[in-house]
Amino acid sequence: MSTTGSRAAALVPAFTAPDVRVTRSRRSTVWVAAVAVVLVAVLAYLPYLVYSGTTSLLVNVFILMIMASMWNLLAGYAGLVSVGQQGFVGIGAYAVVVFAQHGVDVFVALPLAMLVSGIVGIPVWWLLRRLRTAYFAIASWVVASVLAAIVTSISSLGSGTGISLLPYLNFSATLLGAITYWAALTVLVAALAAGYLLLRGRGGLVLTAVRDDEIAARSAGGRVGRVQRLVFVVAAIGCGGAGALLAISQIFVQGSNVFNVSWSAEMIFATIIGGIGSIEGPIIGAIIYYVIYETLGNYGTWYFIVLGVIAMAVAIWARRGLWGLVADRFNIRIFPVGYYLWPRADMVPAASVPPGPVPGTPVPPPAAPAASPSPAGEELGADGG
Amino acid sequence: MTALLELDRITKRFGSVVVADGLSLAVGAGDIVGIVGPNGAGKTSLFGLIGGDLAPNSGEVRLEGRPVTRLDASARCRLGIGRTYQVPRPFVDMTVFENVLMAAQQGGGQRRRLSYARAAAVLERTGLGNDANVPAGRLGLLSRKRLEMARALATAPRLLLLDEVAGGLTDPEVAELVTIVTSVRDEGVAVLWIEHVLRALTASVPRLICLAGGSFIGDGAPAEVLAEPAVREVFLGTEVTTSLAGLAGEAAREDA
Ligand SMILES: Nc1ncnc2c1ncn2[C@@H]1O[C@H](COP(=O)(O)OP(=O)(O)OP(=O)(O)O)[C@@H](O)[C@H]1O
Ligand SMILES: [Mg+2]
Repeated sequence: MSTTGSRAAALVPAFTAPDVRVTRSRRSTVWVAAVAVVLVAVLAYLPYLVYSGTTSLLVNVFILMIMASMWNLLAGYAGLVSVGQQGFVGIGAYAVVVFAQHGVDVFVALPLAMLVSGIVGIPVWWLLRRLRTAYFAIASWVVASVLAAIVTSISSLGSGTGISLLPYLNFSATLLGAITYWAALTVLVAALAAGYLLLRGRGGLVLTAVRDDEIAARSAGGRVGRVQRLVFVVAAIGCGGAGALLAISQIFVQGSNVFNVSWSAEMIFATIIGGIGSIEGPIIGAIIYYVIYETLGNYGTWYFIVLGVIAMAVAIWARRGLWGLVADRFNIRIFPVGYYLWPRADMVPAASVPPGPVPGTPVPPPAAPAASPSPAGEELGADGG
Repeated sequence: MTALLELDRITKRFGSVVVADGLSLAVGAGDIVGIVGPNGAGKTSLFGLIGGDLAPNSGEVRLEGRPVTRLDASARCRLGIGRTYQVPRPFVDMTVFENVLMAAQQGGGQRRRLSYARAAAVLERTGLGNDANVPAGRLGLLSRKRLEMARALATAPRLLLLDEVAGGLTDPEVAELVTIVTSVRDEGVAVLWIEHVLRALTASVPRLICLAGGSFIGDGAPAEVLAEPAVREVFLGTEVTTSLAGLAGEAAREDA
């Protein structure tokens, strides 16, 4: 931009910039990464150890985790409260059918279906982009219903009665179950990685700011519309992936199921109880949801009462969900997406250095001279942002 | 030479309330201009119109001769308009450093190390150096006001809009603030400064504007503006009046 030069000249800092030291978290996160890798490896090996009942349950858990993570990016960061994500779930599911009908292997169709869902997301965003809060919510629902109406009117897709994927699956039941499980795990890891990278990148600060105050974020120069569009399309891709996985795992696609608004209800519930506005929250929330479902799912009314009471309790007493409680209590963050500015004693004149730590300021580890190896593991030099 | 900021017959209505009634104004690069006016005069709305939070019903806003009326607040900030909010709007779940870093990267267009350095420098300058890693939601009012200022400064503005940053501060705190604002001005940044604490303003601005009922009813040296009958009229019966009289006298003596 042509004005950048003159602006840089316009505001020369009153004193020369101190040699700052910034890391993405105060503590080392190497062990977290190690645990994550081990966990994914164990999960990947699971089909060799457990019955297919367990893996197919886990497929459902993974699908909800994917959906909830996407909804969390939308509502928990970009300030976009969508109740129309089932539109993309349905698009993803039906896209798999279409590709299969054209001779594409369903597991090749899976990423293609995600792509289709993302492409559909672009014009949908264009329709919704000026709306916020309840208006956005209702409009997103309307759009999802329109998508459902269009797709379920196509006779080659079974219209409303649904269509089976069975003719296109040439696997033994065991193998199909295992591959479906690995596919779900892959999409989940990709969805979490996408969310993490999105929040860790430069747009992450904008997203986090939008979560707190969209107007102030704009006034500070934040390219809010740009990150919101990015998140919306990513969420469309993710929910499309969840829908494609649903289609493959259920071997049957029906409009009233895949386009059902209850998918939005489930992703919202999982995100809220787990903790909105954190990457960890939706993962925890999806697990809790399935624990309740597995223990109380057969009790009908009681099941819904318990869900309702939990949602209300969390909304009243733990605004940032169960993960929020844990994270605050033990001061842990699994995904380091923040910025920690290391205090430098020599940045302040000696006389004004307070005798003790300032209340509320995290105290750095006792020995943290600048020369020692970075305790946070990932010092930010030239490639930080 | 074109002025840095020009308002050209800006009109803004909220229903039947007219908050800007054909306002025209020119502010040169490096100018510092105080704005006073009774409650509900439309001062904050004026900043909304300049900063891009509000769209006018008619009229044009120009920055260095370039119309920016159709640009949103984000684009205007990146062109060099930095603002603070009268009621602070910190990003509560981000740390103070992250608040300012976001502004340095987005509004200020700095990346990586440069953005860290600018954010850290701005925090030092605004006295927030020790609160860098504190969630902004835990700050008290004084620190929130400082943070408003820090975030605006981090965007490297050429025009800084200050909306009652001194409100609710003690005299030494106001003095500290005035020092910061004057040093910013000395670097060539133009400042528009709304304040109810007249003492802070009259001491540090060569030009004062009085806004009432959506119109400018006074524009000039503080002493002259405060002495004008129309200005005294709108403040009549408010607690400001007495201090106004005193300040006008003081300012007149200083001018003499
Ligand atoms: N978004 C809005 N919608 C409707 N009316 C508004 C809006 N914003 C401001 N107003 C009205 O416009 C008028 C001017 O408000 P504004 O905040 O600009 O005044 P102000 O001069 O900043 O007052 P104060 O000294 O109290 O800060 C007030 O009557 C206010 O109620
Ligand atoms: Mg105001």
